[in-house]
Amino acid sequence: MTTLATAPPVLSTPDTHILEDPTPFIEVQNKLRLSPHQLLEVYEVKRTAQEIKQGGWRRIALQFPDGMLRDASLVFDVLGEELRRIDVEKEDIPEKDESLEQSFNELKTDDTQQSRGRHRLHILADTSYGACCVDEIAAEHIDAEVVVHYGRSCLSPTARLPVIYVFTSRPLELDPVVEVFQNTYPEKKEKVILMADVIYHNHIAAVLKKLQGSGYTDISAPDIIHDPASIIPNRRVDKEDIKEYSLFHISDPPPALLLTLSSRVKDLNIYPTTPTSSYPSKALQSNTSTSLRRRYALLTSLTTCSVFGILINTLSVKNYLQTVTDIKDMIRRAGKKSYTFVVGKVNAAKIANFSEIGGWVVIGCWESSLIESTEFFRPIITPFELSLCLMGDGERVWSGEWRGDFGTVDMKSVSPGEEIRSENAAATVENGKDIEKTHAGDLDSEEESEPPEFDLRTGRYVSHSRPLRHTLPHPSSETRQEEQFTAASTTLTRRAKGDLATINGTVSPGAEYLRTRRTWMGLGSDFQDSEASTAMEQGRTGVARGYTVGEDVDRR
Amino acid sequence: MVNFTIEEVRQLMSRPSNVRNMSVIAHVDHGKSTLTDSLLSKAGIISAAKAGDARATDTRADEQERGITIKSTAISLYGNLADEEDLKDIVGQKTDGKDFLINLIDSPGHVDFSSEVTAALRVTDGALVVVDTIEGVCVQTETVLRQALGERIKPVVIINKVDRALLELQVSKEDLYQSFSRTIESVNVVISTYFDKTLGDVQVYPYKGTVAFGSGLHGWAFTVRQFAQRYAKKFGVDRNKMMERLWGDNYFNPHTKKWTNKGTHEGKQLERAFNQFILDPIFKIFAAVMNFKKDEIPVLLEKLAIKLSTEDKEKEGKQLLKVVMRTFLPAADALMEMMILHLPSPVTAQKYRAETLYEGPPDDEACIGIRDCDPKAPLMLYVSKMVPTSDKGRFYAFGRVFAGTVRSGLKVRIQGPNYTPGKKDDLFIKAIQRTVLMMGGKVDPIDDVPAGNILGLVGIDQFLLKSGTLTTSETAHNLKVMKFSVSPVVRRSVEVKNAQDLPKLVEGLKRLSKSDPCVLTTISESGEHIVAGAGELHLEICLKDLEEDHAGVPLRISDPVVSYRETVTAKSSMTALSKSPNKHNRLYMVAEPLDDEVSKEIEAGNIGPRDDFKARARILADDFGWDVTDARKIWCFGPDTTGANLLVDQTKAVQYLNEIKDSVVSGFQWASREGPVAEEPMRSCRFNILDVTLHADAIHRGGGQLIPTARRVLYAAALLAEPGLLEPVFLVEIQVPESAMGGVYGVLTRRRGHVFSEEQRPGTPLFTIKAYMPVMESFGFNADLRSHTSGQAFPQSVFDHWQILPGGSPLDATSKVGQVVQDMRKRKGLKVEVPGVDNYYDKL
Repeated sequence: MTTLATAPPVLSTPDTHILEDPTPFIEVQNKLRLSPHQLLEVYEVKRTAQEIKQGGWRRIALQFPDGMLRDASLVFDVLGEELRRIDVEKEDIPEKDESLEQSFNELKTDDTQQSRGRHRLHILADTSYGACCVDEIAAEHIDAEVVVHYGRSCLSPTARLPVIYVFTSRPLELDPVVEVFQNTYPEKKEKVILMADVIYHNHIAAVLKKLQGSGYTDISAPDIIHDPASIIPNRRVDKEDIKEYSLFHISDPPPALLLTLSSRVKDLNIYPTTPTSSYPSKALQSNTSTSLRRRYALLTSLTTCSVFGILINTLSVKNYLQTVTDIKDMIRRAGKKSYTFVVGKVNAAKIANFSEIGGWVVIGCWESSLIESTEFFRPIITPFELSLCLMGDGERVWSGEWRGDFGTVDMKSVSPGEEIRSENAAATVENGKDIEKTHAGDLDSEEESEPPEFDLRTGRYVSHSRPLRHTLPHPSSETRQEEQFTAASTTLTRRAKGDLATINGTVSPGAEYLRTRRTWMGLGSDFQDSEASTAMEQGRTGVARGYTVGEDVDRR
Repeated sequence: MVNFTIEEVRQLMSRPSNVRNMSVIAHVDHGKSTLTDSLLSKAGIISAAKAGDARATDTRADEQERGITIKSTAISLYGNLADEEDLKDIVGQKTDGKDFLINLIDSPGHVDFSSEVTAALRVTDGALVVVDTIEGVCVQTETVLRQALGERIKPVVIINKVDRALLELQVSKEDLYQSFSRTIESVNVVISTYFDKTLGDVQVYPYKGTVAFGSGLHGWAFTVRQFAQRYAKKFGVDRNKMMERLWGDNYFNPHTKKWTNKGTHEGKQLERAFNQFILDPIFKIFAAVMNFKKDEIPVLLEKLAIKLSTEDKEKEGKQLLKVVMRTFLPAADALMEMMILHLPSPVTAQKYRAETLYEGPPDDEACIGIRDCDPKAPLMLYVSKMVPTSDKGRFYAFGRVFAGTVRSGLKVRIQGPNYTPGKKDDLFIKAIQRTVLMMGGKVDPIDDVPAGNILGLVGIDQFLLKSGTLTTSETAHNLKVMKFSVSPVVRRSVEVKNAQDLPKLVEGLKRLSKSDPCVLTTISESGEHIVAGAGELHLEICLKDLEEDHAGVPLRISDPVVSYRETVTAKSSMTALSKSPNKHNRLYMVAEPLDDEVSKEIEAGNIGPRDDFKARARILADDFGWDVTDARKIWCFGPDTTGANLLVDQTKAVQYLNEIKDSVVSGFQWASREGPVAEEPMRSCRFNILDVTLHADAIHRGGGQLIPTARRVLYAAALLAEPGLLEPVFLVEIQVPESAMGGVYGVLTRRRGHVFSEEQRPGTPLFTIKAYMPVMESFGFNADLRSHTSGQAFPQSVFDHWQILPGGSPLDATSKVGQVVQDMRKRKGLKVEVPGVDNYYDKL
């Protein structure tokens, strides 16, 4: 105690600790209050209004990330005014710019009901999943026709609503960028792709021009598109192979992008934009090999996991429902069990509530699917990683390629259940003396167990890693199973007390887990193994002045 | 030609009283494989001329190349006693005819492979301990002997390389006798140290015929009994009396023609009977042959009734010596006789081994079947290791039938090491495809195998990683899991050079893991494929196998690294408190170091989660001074529910405590697997739950609230308790001549070695130095030692214990330990700084 007195631990938990959002989020340090003029510029009010106008939308949802909420009311006002102004402008076409002030005043005085009614703006806050995604469900609550999304965005294609993206561009000093670029790539013929985080994207053209001016010949700066499955996510790339290109990225990319890109380009250099006193002389070379390896370890540790939880972390990304079905199917085909969860923002407490789940796969936008935190009780992986994980050890190749989006993950091709089945059959043929025997073995294969699987994390064998394997429809027995199914549906069967839920005759892995692993069986059960003796003991006798126990002479 | 058929072998199998299962064990280079050769040549498996050089049981190419045994190899032999009379000498057990089946396992001697020895010992009942005349009892002799006795295996001894003593050292008869008797004495010291009441006195005595002397290289050996037999006829006395006279202080006084136990007669030194009657003829042969006394040789041969073929008579020098000695005293006869007479049959052995072999109650049908070695009882078969087949990726399950009969097509329950009766974990049902007889590198199919025999099984290798129990009884418990004397503490990571080869590497790692009882292949949290072995040599062999055989793809192999353990060195300076995410639940804990003795007991399996909690509490209270209440309230062991960390409930009257137990235990398993300092497993920590406050509503104290909280409070408690790193330490034993001792000390000092014993072998200039040396410093030690002692020192290293890595606190980045931690975290891709306690500690 005395030795420690010099440096006592900080005796409080940071408040943020509890409400921490584990999904990656590029912090927007919006420390300074913006002047109205800056506001117009940063929030691109004019462009937004124009687009709304062109789209002819009436009910508009404005979605702000938490960090920008304080500007929300201002933007709301300014945008509203701008829209009204345009409306007026439209009505009075002959009027020129100089009448702006006038019409403005007119509007104000008029307080026209029609324009108010024509454009209804709403602010959306507290997004359900991640600030980078468009919250379509919240927008639908107000029956919005369009969502204006502010802040940095993952640009995942949306399913229902049109979206106007306002990246809220940040200022960037161009000269240091050019200088750093030149230091990083002294060779003028270097093939480089210039790229920036969306909030800096508007500077790209200027930087490109400057660089081309200083003699660089092979620099390309791809445009933004809404396609996370592109070679460079969300950028238009014409080239088939960008392996020989270096990539210069302005501002720190989110981890998902970093992992995706690292295997696709020659190297990746990052120009940091976090406010520091001095500008860096050279861009940071990113090194993703350790984090990629950690992902590999994570997914291989789940190869023997029997129960997966599918965590739905988006309600807007295109095709997410299809993906959920595909993933369910993929897990089922591997002979494993899946449960689907919607928990809103993911945190450690929510995840740890389901201890029977061995691993989680998260379906979200491509940026937020990568949840890299050690706080979680069970690993969380992406659909791409899941497809590798279920692949079976005989096929899994880890080339360092990584992807965050699920649109392109090929889920149909994976059928480890069958692969293992055929492997077994092959093994039997190899060892068995005759093929007839193999057939016989196949027939009563229900009695013979499936071999265990090797758990790479512990180096041991794990049994029952594919608990639902037997429920897989066998090509030959499909008809028979159908019959059984119809028979079962018409007959009333009595379930014995304490029976576990079964799926086609196999005990549900979740129920099995609860039965075997939990020691707590509900109220009252905790008295069962108390050591209360049933033998009678002689109690105390006597009067309150002093009792005696048994033959004991001493009074107590 | 092989002088027996499979049919004969099969017939003998049904007579378990005439079966001898034995392993050949010894220190490295004491001549096990060479000696085994002479038995094989007797059985006709290899030619007599090759015996001694062929080392037929070294079936792998690299074994032949390096001249050391790496894998244990089993072979079945047919043996018989020459004379019905001899059967009478088999005391304490019944026999059935004079034909015997010897199932012999040749084991490696190098300490790195001692897991192979353990696997061999499990399936045998007797052991032939080979000791080098000159080197005497060495570390590994002692280790394997200890292991054998632990498994209740009866030893017999052969003192090998007697020819070297005669030819190279030119010792006198009396010196040789003294050397023999010293060696036997030291063997007996070891045996008596590990005295087991049930096994009885198993010390070895030449006059009882349990010690042989000989030369594996030359193919000759003798027991006192053999000579006694010869002389008994000549003197017309009882053989057993003769045997006693031929060893120890017994002299034949030629003047009085009487036996005496006084060494002098009228002031003159008498010659010891052993020297006079046994060593003398041998010395004479050696002298005559090696000094090329052509005229003396035929006389001598005739006198000893040795008949040589004309071809052999032409030979000279050592070649002639070999032939003469081999004809005079064939090694196989002496060994065979010793084994048949003195080693127990399965029937005898299983009577006293049943209780140590079986995990379940001693009165269930499985245990009774084992005890009676009953071929009609439910099958009980222990698979002790996997032997690669010629078919790549497939293995024979090598094991022994302890009860029942196993045959091809029999459907068995395969119980892995984690099986517990009544649960489904690690339990498989499968028909055995084929049963085979292991004949060295080859196999012979056999229809069925009854209790008491050793065999190989085809078709169950997918179900067992390394070892396991096969049974037909639904109630049978497991046969006890083997305890190895070595642990995989030296690790190297491997990666493929070409990413497309990864599946092959993974497959290779699985196969490697199967093919060796000790090797561990895992993937680390940082995504590296790790191969862990007992020592540098072991790892080298494993990786070579992996690259060339199991995976067959080019690999990049890292430098060896050691794995550390996180521990605490003091009691938490204050009570750690963590609140659940919803702030409604609080856990209060302290960490304190667990007694190292307790940790060792846990790791040895003597204290474990499956024990009855009252019995366990008794042991902890009586032997380790625990509070009985605490000892009864051990919630769990961790990591992996078996590790040497304990979670103890010290709370008083907490409502709903049982309800949160599972959650806290989950958090404990998690935290103890990845400690707070560098995500290394914890070891030797005891966590006491002091108090718990819980929300009244069950929904607010679910797993989600408590599992992460339990982990945090454990981390906080550990960080408050002066955390430390444990590093593995080797026990190094070095045999070195006095002249080179300086070099040994120099090398050891430079490598943080700590010498704690230095003994001279009596009668030799050899010293035995024992030292502790951190595994981290041991890489390249052998080569270093060789160069500093001009190759005169022979080290043997085996993992001994864990010790605190000295040099400061792991939390202090400037200290040496802190540096190690930072490097480790960097390698794992973690934040370099160790997270402070305030990350886990919550203010009240």
